[in-house]
Amino acid sequence: MSRAGIIAWQVLISVTLAVVWEWGYDLHERVPWLVPDLLDPYFVSKPSAIYDQFLHASCLVDKRGTWNGWSSGEFSKCMARSENNLWVATLVTLKNTLAGFAVGTSSGFVLGLALGRSDRLTAIFQPFIVAANSVPRIALAPIIILAFGLGNASKIVTAWLVVVFLVFFNTFEGARSVDRDHISAARLLGASEWQITRTVIIPSTMAWLFASLTPAISFALIGVILGEFIGAQQGIGRMIIEAEARGEAAGMMVAVFVLMIVGVVLAGIVRRVQAYLLRWRPQTVGNL
Amino acid sequence: MTPSIRIETRDLGKVFAIDGRDMRAVDGVSLSIREGEFVALLGPSGCGKSTILNMIATLLSTSSGEILIDGKAIDPRRPDPKVGYVFQRDTLFPWRTVQANIGYALELSGVPAAERRERTETALAQAGLQGFGHYYPASLSGGMRQRAALMRTLIVQPQILLMDEPFGALDTHTKLEMHRVLLNIWEREKQTVLFVTHDLGEALTLSDRIILLSARPGRVKDEFIVDFPRPRDAVTLRETPAYGALFSRIWHSLGEEFVKGADT
Ligand SMILES: Nc1ncnc2c1ncn2[C@@H]1O[C@H](COP(=O)(O)OP(=O)(O)OP(=O)(O)O)[C@@H](O)[C@H]1O
Ligand SMILES: [Mg+2]
Repeated sequence: MSRAGIIAWQVLISVTLAVVWEWGYDLHERVPWLVPDLLDPYFVSKPSAIYDQFLHASCLVDKRGTWNGWSSGEFSKCMARSENNLWVATLVTLKNTLAGFAVGTSSGFVLGLALGRSDRLTAIFQPFIVAANSVPRIALAPIIILAFGLGNASKIVTAWLVVVFLVFFNTFEGARSVDRDHISAARLLGASEWQITRTVIIPSTMAWLFASLTPAISFALIGVILGEFIGAQQGIGRMIIEAEARGEAAGMMVAVFVLMIVGVVLAGIVRRVQAYLLRWRPQTVGNL
Repeated sequence: MTPSIRIETRDLGKVFAIDGRDMRAVDGVSLSIREGEFVALLGPSGCGKSTILNMIATLLSTSSGEILIDGKAIDPRRPDPKVGYVFQRDTLFPWRTVQANIGYALELSGVPAAERRERTETALAQAGLQGFGHYYPASLSGGMRQRAALMRTLIVQPQILLMDEPFGALDTHTKLEMHRVLLNIWEREKQTVLFVTHDLGEALTLSDRIILLSARPGRVKDEFIVDFPRPRDAVTLRETPAYGALFSRIWHSLGEEFVKGADT
């Protein structure tokens, strides 16, 4: 199918979904068998209400529905009033996601490399890793909140916990499968043990690390939101919980949409970086 | 003055343990290769050619016998910097560009970037790879990759070269091209070369002497002096009667081994 054709279909589907979402429930009285109860705006809100809620939550309009200009100072007053407005929440969640991602990938990489290159360490630590990995991460979240408080630290730790195993297993696999002939070649060209590690083992393991970065960033976001659900003062996860407590479907939906955008942007950036770093491969994975 | 012996093996043997049973791959191989000599080690597939070469290169331990380089027993833990090795398989580092691959050994020994660039440029030109320096190995042809691998080994100017069927995976035309490149370099540098192959034509084109190995376990079966005049041309050499005569003499000897090797 041509590119234009594909886009036409995508637009058609989006518009149809939006129309059903916006007006579908109006038919509920007349044809109850056709319209499921789930479409009730009380649960899922409506596109128009979500848009209004977005303008409020982001301080772009005031309570009466007039636009807050930059010049009038209304915008900054509104920003100052709420400590978890949409901008702050997004920023906090984003920062913690990136921090958890960074800490998780680097520690997972180091652990995977160390164990992957040492049969002795692997033999010693294997049962612990298997045991730790089999605990559902979500079960540990309350303990982490208790131990690290309601602030950023607990979110970073939750994200780390979700990311570290993923990266660890990938790196471990990669470190095990370094081509023996590459190591021999380096040795014969005069490389010391440390030079072999630096110029052969690390680069060839990196390829496996990079392959785990895209899932890792999504996992980090999940970890942070999970932490925010259980106990937080700021963040998008916190917004969702607050909106739920007030029974505001539109508030939850705004947060969900923002998360969606954050997730897509982060994954997109990571994929670009990954494709660049793996450009030496015969073909890099996907071309998105 | 007679040239000195650079590579020597005495009663070299290798036994592999396969499923708890001992399998003798190399048995009592004694070789001596003189300074500046180009020797081909020829034998059927699986006769232990790579095993012998790998033991000399310290990639494999020996089971029995001795290996001496310049009259001194080799240190199995530390490869000799005078010895360069070219693999049977493509072992360029795929994450490095061609130029960075060729300059690898210089990088290890801390040669400054400017000098490295200059020397790798020269090597690229020598191998006919000008303009391909910034390519990654994955986007080169097999012949280009093997030329780059050759240059990666030659950049530090090893006096002794161990080559394990370096052109085995190439088509006939590319192979002849590679012979020309290698002979050119060798005519100038006169390294001492031990060149493993199972291609008789290749052995005749390149070497001064052919050592014929028997089917497994590898033993020295016969030896032939190849005294065609140098410099040789890989293509025209094949049309001379002397080439044909020696070819068929060795072929008969070799043929017996292929028959023996086939039913093991
Ligand atoms: N690491 C190993 N462990 C067990 N057996 C091995 C090992 N390496 C080689 N062998 C065996 O030793 C024999 C000789 O192998 P080698 O690789 O030296 O043969 P080759 O003459 O180089 O053959 P080819 O021309 O196919 O490369 C073979 O039968 C092979 O199966
Ligand atoms: Mg071999």
